[in-house]
Amino acid sequence: MLHRIGILQLTQYLDEAVQGFKTGLSEKNIAAEFLYYNADGNEQELPALARKLKEAAVEMIFACSTPAALAAIQHAPQTPVIFTPVFDPVGTGLVNSLTQPGGWATGAAGRVAAAEKINFIRRLLPDARSIGCLYHLHDANAVLEVAGFRALELPFSWQEIPFENPAALSLLPDLLPENIDALFLPIGRAAEDNFASIVYYTDSVNLPVIASHPPNVAAGALAALTANHFRLGITCAEKAAAILGGTPIGSISISQAENPDIILNRFSATNLGIELPADLIKQAKEIID
Amino acid sequence: MILNRQSVELLAPVGSQEVLVAAVEAGADAVYLGGKRFNMRLHRSDANFDDAGLAKAIAYAHAHNVRLYITVNNLISESELPLLKEYLQLLNELQPDALIVQDLSVLALAKEIGLTVPLHASVMMNTHNEHAVRTLQEQGITRVVTNREMSLAQLALLKERTGIEIEYFIHGDMCIAHSGQCLHSGIIFGQSSNRGRCLKTCRWPYELVDAKTGTVLGKEDPGPYKLALKDMCMYRHLPELIQSGVCSFKIEGRMRTADFVKRIVSVYRRAVDRYLADPTGYYYDPADWKDLFENRNRDFSTCYAISAPGAEAIGYNGQREPRFFSQAVREPGLPTTLHTLPSTSTNKNRANLAVRVSDLASLTAACQNGANVVYIGGDSFKPHTPWSLKEIAAAIETASQHNAQVVVMTPRITMERECSELEPFLTQLTTLRPAGVMVSNLGALRLAKQFTDLPIYTDYSFNVFNSATIGLLSSLSVAQSTLSLEATQEQIFALAKNSTLPLELIVHGPLETMVMDHCVPSAVLGLSATAGNDAILNTTSFALLDTAGQKHPLVIDQYGRNHILLAKDLCLFPLLSNFTALSSLRLECQHYTVDTVAAVTALYRQELDGIAAPAATTAEDSAQRLEQLRAVSPSELGIGVMRYRTSR
Repeated sequence: MLHRIGILQLTQYLDEAVQGFKTGLSEKNIAAEFLYYNADGNEQELPALARKLKEAAVEMIFACSTPAALAAIQHAPQTPVIFTPVFDPVGTGLVNSLTQPGGWATGAAGRVAAAEKINFIRRLLPDARSIGCLYHLHDANAVLEVAGFRALELPFSWQEIPFENPAALSLLPDLLPENIDALFLPIGRAAEDNFASIVYYTDSVNLPVIASHPPNVAAGALAALTANHFRLGITCAEKAAAILGGTPIGSISISQAENPDIILNRFSATNLGIELPADLIKQAKEIID
Repeated sequence: MILNRQSVELLAPVGSQEVLVAAVEAGADAVYLGGKRFNMRLHRSDANFDDAGLAKAIAYAHAHNVRLYITVNNLISESELPLLKEYLQLLNELQPDALIVQDLSVLALAKEIGLTVPLHASVMMNTHNEHAVRTLQEQGITRVVTNREMSLAQLALLKERTGIEIEYFIHGDMCIAHSGQCLHSGIIFGQSSNRGRCLKTCRWPYELVDAKTGTVLGKEDPGPYKLALKDMCMYRHLPELIQSGVCSFKIEGRMRTADFVKRIVSVYRRAVDRYLADPTGYYYDPADWKDLFENRNRDFSTCYAISAPGAEAIGYNGQREPRFFSQAVREPGLPTTLHTLPSTSTNKNRANLAVRVSDLASLTAACQNGANVVYIGGDSFKPHTPWSLKEIAAAIETASQHNAQVVVMTPRITMERECSELEPFLTQLTTLRPAGVMVSNLGALRLAKQFTDLPIYTDYSFNVFNSATIGLLSSLSVAQSTLSLEATQEQIFALAKNSTLPLELIVHGPLETMVMDHCVPSAVLGLSATAGNDAILNTTSFALLDTAGQKHPLVIDQYGRNHILLAKDLCLFPLLSNFTALSSLRLECQHYTVDTVAAVTALYRQELDGIAAPAATTAEDSAQRLEQLRAVSPSELGIGVMRYRTSR
């Protein structure tokens, strides 16, 4: 039987999740035709695209990103929605709880646990005593991730550096404390999109940056620990199979990102005079030269 | 003109196999795409085609009777030349329908390896006059992607005079600055627009201010995004476009999705086919227009195709800006410790000290204080007036009294009008006998060869980044080349080692990072082309204030073009000893007062003399001179791209 599945994607950056989803379905011998819409970064386009999927009577929607999932829930009501890599499925109102979503959506969360990130920072920079955390004060994901760090006992001193709006990054030297050994960037679009300006300043004071968004590593961050989008896509395909098999979507629990990827930047390390630990190099999914 | 399906080529952008399929299905006649190397659009690692992907894409396109062009359109650094050669050999085996190229080195290497794939000049070559086209034709170029500042009328003339195939951007995201001539991202971030890494500093918010007082200009400021050009859209002007003789209609957007490309190609396909079938009965389809308009990224403009668009072309409020790539940053100052490399020179003080000035009094000051060469002419910035022949004669006379030479410059951008003016000008120069003529583009170079026997220098606008480019310039009778302003010390040393020409490096002064036909003050202040406005443009010192609190001077040349300068003046004084093996070191003093020209020239003269006779000078002397330089400089000083190990 040929199933009809909609894909709603926010940016091309999420391609790997789509590939994982398709691969996962084909591994389960589920034949499907896909109606694929990509908003190419324009969030405002998502509602119209979700409505098109509804009109096309797809059996379910694979929604990549929180805005895509929210648009699908709102504008394609009563269509099962499988989402990833949503950072905070409960907080954004997509589901009631991680174990019992309850409504028309389930999926795989893309959040790497704070404890894992702390461990990663420790391994990457064992001598770092003080870490700065630069985050956008009005970005829900960033705020949530920072709260996650705050709730734990940290092996280094922790200095939060909130910023009001992207333009504030123009004056980052005024915001940066003098005594930090590295700068951590939680998930959050304002910092990710304007990363070039951040690394411009951190480079000039020889400050390593640990990012959460893979393209930021290629653009000059020292390293990142990130969810593997392809595997998240595979996990979502398993949930799709269950739904097609008749399991009510509201009872399918939300999965968490496991075994996150390590991405390292050797060019930045050399510039900063930092030796990358051999065990991290061995484990890295990608090393930028 | 009899039109048929072959008269117009609809050329679609492709970033992945999926987009390729969509473009072909939507009716593209040709597609362009990049490999993983030597290609613009390198922000994303998930886009573009690996070598196997290129072969597959070519096979797919050809099976569907679609032509496929591969972009090899980066500036190439010296260390990349061997890899580029290998890549060109691979592409020769793959046989796409053309390569779209920027760097002159590709033309040189193509000859060397006997490349049989046709070559198209990328828009990054900044081709905007017939003389440049003729030079490129002689070098094996069969098609040019012309400058986007050219109007359809100019394109028609260009086509008629040269017979070259013309490719023109008809839809999508555009730069405000002349392509291939924007250095802002490259100098500030070390990520060159000419190497596919533009961080779009033209999309930053700015205030237009009086540079002297800091007062914000324009009572009714239209919005902060003063350089944010709207997207090009020629849908409603298709007949004019077709009749202009443009053969290839290029859609921008190699990072776009299959959906986006499919929509744009389909809409234009339908319109082109309807026009070809029934030109006199043609009218654009309002439904298709509505579809394009409702799904636009930014608002639309016809940019320069019909006429200079003024304020209408700018999206001042930024609300339709899909993504910002960076925020304004404070430009780097002079660091306390500098990353220096050992000089390869054994012949100290071979370098000439060259000084660019704006008037006769400054020329005299430069000569009196130790300049060996003085550059005059070319772009002349308000309130200065252009150099008359009489003044040039006087300049040559004055310089000779100080044993200095005068080299006369030509404008950076030479559209049809400026080219026509260059012909008599260059003929006159031959009589006046300056030491040379410095040109800024391939067209002016050709004219200089044709109308003078004077030595020809090329300016930094040639983006010289490798020795193969220098080899090609050398074969075009160039006597000296200025290095790219985006090259770092390491890159300069590697290049200089293999250079067949004397080289010049700009070491001091305000640097231009953008040149544009758009007049920012006229647009922001709502000035129309009336006589009264000249007074405002002539007497106000404009600057753009960014969110990092820096003022970028905005200067206007005699043709009304705007040039944006860095907020800090370049100062490589502390690195000077590393560069004395070059033939010439240039001070850009055309924006300085006479007193500043005198002081800056004298300090560099003393330092160069000190380097040549190290026994007679101390590190303290140098430090003192640097302090004096800071004191006389009208702006803060910085080291530009030299803060980076390599420019990426």
